[in-house]
Amino acid sequence: MGLRDILTGRHTVKGPAPDRLFAISTAYVTLQAEHQIDPAGKAAIVFQALATSEFEATLRDMEEVVTATGGESGTTVSTEDDSYGYRWMVLHNPDGAPSVEDLAVGINAVSTSIETAGHGERLLCAVFAFADAQKRRIYFIYNYKRGSWYPFVPDPANAQSRLTERELQIKAQMASELPIEPELERWFPLWGIPI
Amino acid sequence: MAGRRSSFGKDTGLQARMVMTMFLLGLVYVVFIGVLFAAGAAAGLIVIVALVLLLVQFFGSDKIALATMGVKEVTPAQEPELHGIIERLCVQADLPKPKVGVIETSMPNACAMGKSKKATTVCATRGILELLSPAELEGVMAHELTHVINRDVLVMTLASFFATLASMIAQFALFFGGFGGGYGRGRDEEEEIMLVLLVSVLVYAISFLLLRALSRYREFAADRGSAVLTGRPSALASALLKISGTMERVPTQDLRRAEGMSAFFILPARTKKSLMNIFADHPPLEQRLAALERLESQLQSSA
Repeated sequence: MGLRDILTGRHTVKGPAPDRLFAISTAYVTLQAEHQIDPAGKAAIVFQALATSEFEATLRDMEEVVTATGGESGTTVSTEDDSYGYRWMVLHNPDGAPSVEDLAVGINAVSTSIETAGHGERLLCAVFAFADAQKRRIYFIYNYKRGSWYPFVPDPANAQSRLTERELQIKAQMASELPIEPELERWFPLWGIPI
Repeated sequence: MAGRRSSFGKDTGLQARMVMTMFLLGLVYVVFIGVLFAAGAAAGLIVIVALVLLLVQFFGSDKIALATMGVKEVTPAQEPELHGIIERLCVQADLPKPKVGVIETSMPNACAMGKSKKATTVCATRGILELLSPAELEGVMAHELTHVINRDVLVMTLASFFATLASMIAQFALFFGGFGGGYGRGRDEEEEIMLVLLVSVLVYAISFLLLRALSRYREFAADRGSAVLTGRPSALASALLKISGTMERVPTQDLRRAEGMSAFFILPARTKKSLMNIFADHPPLEQRLAALERLESQLQSSA
């Protein structure tokens, strides 16, 4: 933000950073092979749904595109709004055939069509669900504004708390494979992830 | 973000008014400085004292304000919803997360304090948390975060520097020049002091009005920033309506105590309808609602 913007109080919301979403489609191999963290076959993209007819039309088109491209792999789409007013578009792989590549392609199709419609700044994040050997959920969250990833491990025993130790282990394990967000204070939690 | 299509148009008028106000402020200050130097004397000393005061104000005011308003910092476990809203807005605005505080009063309001993006506290009162729906609360918090992004505390502190200086000189001159008279001063010197006093009073009066205007423009800019950040101008409008409706029903005693916090709040803690809007630090509600309505219609017709 430049001096001129400060003086005039003008403020624009940042659009998405250069795309590093697809880093997950190679990183998951290491996750699976070396760290026993398996893909759960689900991913979601989170954004602010504008209450305009034009935006809703974009969403409908997008859902069709994702369903069409996911046709041969059997990926399905569902949407829901959370209590904060953000929309979750959830992509499911068919049972027993999780494919992180398909999910990444699907998520990218969604984010691209939101950006092409001129609403890139509405994108919040993408979430990929994994599970470790103890069947504990591990999420990888992609921050669109910063183009970086971070792990998020909610504590299954306590609501609203996270297993920071596990997240830091994952960071150390994956730092060479994924562009991990370096500032820990930006590892924002997402409570009540529906996947 | 040039060349990219945006959901909202530009508000060139607001920016032009803001720049014009700052230009006028600057002009007043330049004349003021000129007179001070022409008068010579202890002007240099006064400038230094004022600078020190400014620094103290800038670095200390947020702590003092936080303490006097009874802000209690809350953890995510205590206020999960408020933290959740702020975290998401921080992701959207690409900001580091500020401290989150709650003020235990039933008066619905919110404020942001701090001198930089890194050292900020965003507060909400208990009243506003209970009154607003999540979307409305999000609009209010986005307004407060926009104040942080726009560095409004810094801008307003700097802009008011010379006004503070002028008021100090006026008091100083009144005290020593007006009543003292002694110490064998010549007639010329007394005239000089009177001139400085007169100019200081004038500078103070003009810059006071300009500063209030600037403050109102920054409020409009923050409303706009909130709409841009959340994509929901009408949610903020609805929040403002709810807040103002409740504020008018809250007992006067509570409000009188809250009066001092006014400048930091999203809506001033006053109930009387002011006849002279030029003295107000916040724009009238109707104008803010009208501006938000314009944003909503821009959004709806952006197809």
